[in-house]
Amino acid sequence: MVSPAIALAFLPFLITLLIRYRHYLVLLYRAVLLGWLQDRLTGVPREQRAFQYVLTHAIPGDPQHILHTFDQWSYHCEHLSCVGPLKGKIVEKLLCERAPRTVLELGTYCGYGTVLMAAALPPAARLYTVEPNPQHASVAEKVIRLAGFDEQTVELIVGHSEEVIPQLREQHGVQSVDFVFMDHWKRCYLRDLQLLEEHGLLADRATVLADNVVFPGAPHFLQYAKTCGKYRCRVHRASLEYCRAIPDGIAELCYTGAR
Amino acid sequence: EISSSTEEAQLFVEKFEGALGKGKGKKFYAYKVMMTKKWMKFQRDFENFKTACIPWEMKIKEIESHFGSSVASYFIFLRWMYGINMILFGLTFGLVMIPEALMGKPYGSLPRKTVPRAEEATAMNFATLWDFSGFAQYSVLFYGYYNNQRTIGWLKFRMPLSYFLVGVGTIGYSFMIVIRTMARNANEDGGGDDTSFNFSWKMFTSWDYLIGNPETADNKFASITTSFKEAIVEEQESRKEENIHLTRFLRVLANFLALCTLAGSGYLIFFVVRRSQKFALEGLENYGWWERNEVNMVMSLLGMFCPTLFDVISSLENYHPRIALRWQLGRIFALFLGNLYTFIIALMDEINLKLEEEKIVKYNMTIWEASLYNGTIPENSTAPPIQVDPADVPRGPCWETMVGQEFVRLTVSDTMTTYITILIGDFLRAVFVRFFNYCWCWDLEYGFPSYSEFDISGNVLGLIFNQGMIWMGSFYAPCLPAINVFRLHTSMYLQCWAVMCCNVPQERVFKASRSNNFYMAMLLFILFLSTLPAVYTIVSIPPSFDCGPFSGKTRMFEVISETLEHDFPSWFGKVFGYASNPGLILPFILLMVTTSHKSLTSSVQSY
Repeated sequence: MVSPAIALAFLPFLITLLIRYRHYLVLLYRAVLLGWLQDRLTGVPREQRAFQYVLTHAIPGDPQHILHTFDQWSYHCEHLSCVGPLKGKIVEKLLCERAPRTVLELGTYCGYGTVLMAAALPPAARLYTVEPNPQHASVAEKVIRLAGFDEQTVELIVGHSEEVIPQLREQHGVQSVDFVFMDHWKRCYLRDLQLLEEHGLLADRATVLADNVVFPGAPHFLQYAKTCGKYRCRVHRASLEYCRAIPDGIAELCYTGAR
Repeated sequence: EISSSTEEAQLFVEKFEGALGKGKGKKFYAYKVMMTKKWMKFQRDFENFKTACIPWEMKIKEIESHFGSSVASYFIFLRWMYGINMILFGLTFGLVMIPEALMGKPYGSLPRKTVPRAEEATAMNFATLWDFSGFAQYSVLFYGYYNNQRTIGWLKFRMPLSYFLVGVGTIGYSFMIVIRTMARNANEDGGGDDTSFNFSWKMFTSWDYLIGNPETADNKFASITTSFKEAIVEEQESRKEENIHLTRFLRVLANFLALCTLAGSGYLIFFVVRRSQKFALEGLENYGWWERNEVNMVMSLLGMFCPTLFDVISSLENYHPRIALRWQLGRIFALFLGNLYTFIIALMDEINLKLEEEKIVKYNMTIWEASLYNGTIPENSTAPPIQVDPADVPRGPCWETMVGQEFVRLTVSDTMTTYITILIGDFLRAVFVRFFNYCWCWDLEYGFPSYSEFDISGNVLGLIFNQGMIWMGSFYAPCLPAINVFRLHTSMYLQCWAVMCCNVPQERVFKASRSNNFYMAMLLFILFLSTLPAVYTIVSIPPSFDCGPFSGKTRMFEVISETLEHDFPSWFGKVFGYASNPGLILPFILLMVTTSHKSLTSSVQSY
């Protein structure tokens, strides 16, 4: 019924879409399709496969080499959605500048961010990291111990962040947090930030870093941060982890609302 | 307080301005001085009034302060086109449509002015009127309605001569004004030295100290920020280092891909036009809506999708945004030109078909007239002709009205496509991004659809080609300039609203002052190309025998020689005969060509 000529006229449109969004299509393939395929083929979830690779190729006790091995696996085999080397440098730089005593990480996943931050911590500082998924938490525990950080430096808490944050003071003895790094579900950024404020866990001039605020994006969180008046907000622009072509950013919030 | 001291100062200046005078005739001299002062004040006030009368100035300034000078240059171009179309509308409406409507024979008195009996039933339907058939076709809107009477009414208005001269005059006026604007733009220079101390000029001379309104101050602030961004981009571009060979290879590759796209689209249109001719031969009733509108649909779709493909290909080339815009314009220009000329070739085929049909109709008319008399009256008698209702007289296929109708339909469908594209592509997209951002998994504003940017090249070319359509078709459809004036008027308001409401400024802004002459050069080229088909049809195709102001003549331009014979004294005709000697005309043409070439090269060089 519809002639082939009209269908052919849509061809330039399809080619334009393919070329313009080629990076997103490649990301979709690597992050979703390839992962799903390998899950089916090997029967082992992705984090386990990553850990097996790290176990066989990394030098135990050397955090930088472990991070480097993670990067190698992500570049060559599959896509791992952790913070990545480029944004990791930004996090490390900010951490070294602020030199906090207590650091909170929401969303451990494989422990990449944890190892990165623990390596840049000042002496006698402590890092608390929260992970809701037990399988991810077990892999992360192994990675953190492989990197050589003990219970004194890094404590892994398994549980949902909205349940863990209210109990931080009673159960874990955290009085106030100087540095927060959020890398879990983007929809939960705003809720967890407000929970931290409510329970008075944010120290004065604390720094809150939020990953992936551009892609996939956390619009409510950014809007709240910019308009509520309690934070000074700045977005550091870089690119998405392991994809140079897709722009992404880390939001840095400085808490000034305690006064 | 400040305003009172300003007023004092003004009064002082007015009182003592030019008060030094000579001793003799002091009273007369003082009176002269007073009149001069009053005249200068009047001139100043009149200049202010003239500036305030420029239409849409505030709208365009607001857009300029938000989006930069390149987007604003499109709207300034649109406003200039509107001015030209108003003049064309004035000419066609006042000198062609109104005289025929007021002083010509009314509807229903002649066969050419009446809807045929067969079409009467549907002549008032909205669908027929939207298609410009029915009552719209048999009215002053189209060529076929006009009678070929040499003079009409008590004013003895020469209708055919007026029709011909208005047709030629619109083209001549358009040429003159485009060339004049090109020459004027070439001499204009933006304030300040463009080559050195760029940032110092901008830093110290940008602010306007006459602003008193807070909102205007905000707009001015935004526009100065934009101009700084433009200057920084220009500076960055001039300092970048590049790998020459890779760049050249990529540019050659990009041009090759663009050529492939153009060739593909040209072949597709050619294929579709051949198919539609095949359908027409077999009778259009056998086919559905898709087949009947296949050519229009394919042309619109290609016109919408190929420019974005050119945009994507041009990212290989890595040019400065101003130069990339020119390449983009050039490619889209080639695409639209291909579309246009295919359309014209199809139209020529139809004209030839109609000319063939005309011969058959003429033959049938003699048979029909004979049958009216029923053989009752012998051949050589001079009895009065039988009265027949004009609606029943068989008609020739009026090819001029057909051409006019095609251009009007094309203009209307082009307008509809533009408006629908703005509403869906810009407005609905912005609504979707704004309201669905809360419940979508990725950030719609930064990521995939996001708000659209204003497509300068597509819009400018659309405007230029639309004007080309008008120039081509206004000889056969005097209503075209009126339709275009309406279209440009609504387009200005709709696009201004759409830009401010739905678009975001482009990531890279750049100065557009030099692009204006580029648009003018393209417009001149299109003007030249549009007048070619019209002039060809006027000079070489015989007019229809029973419709229009030139019916009965062998060629349309014979109206000029007829006027010289009847309306001018005989010596004028002799002088004209001598002057139209080829020996005199050729040197004159050479002189015109050399002077116009010289003035064009001097204006092109300075841009």
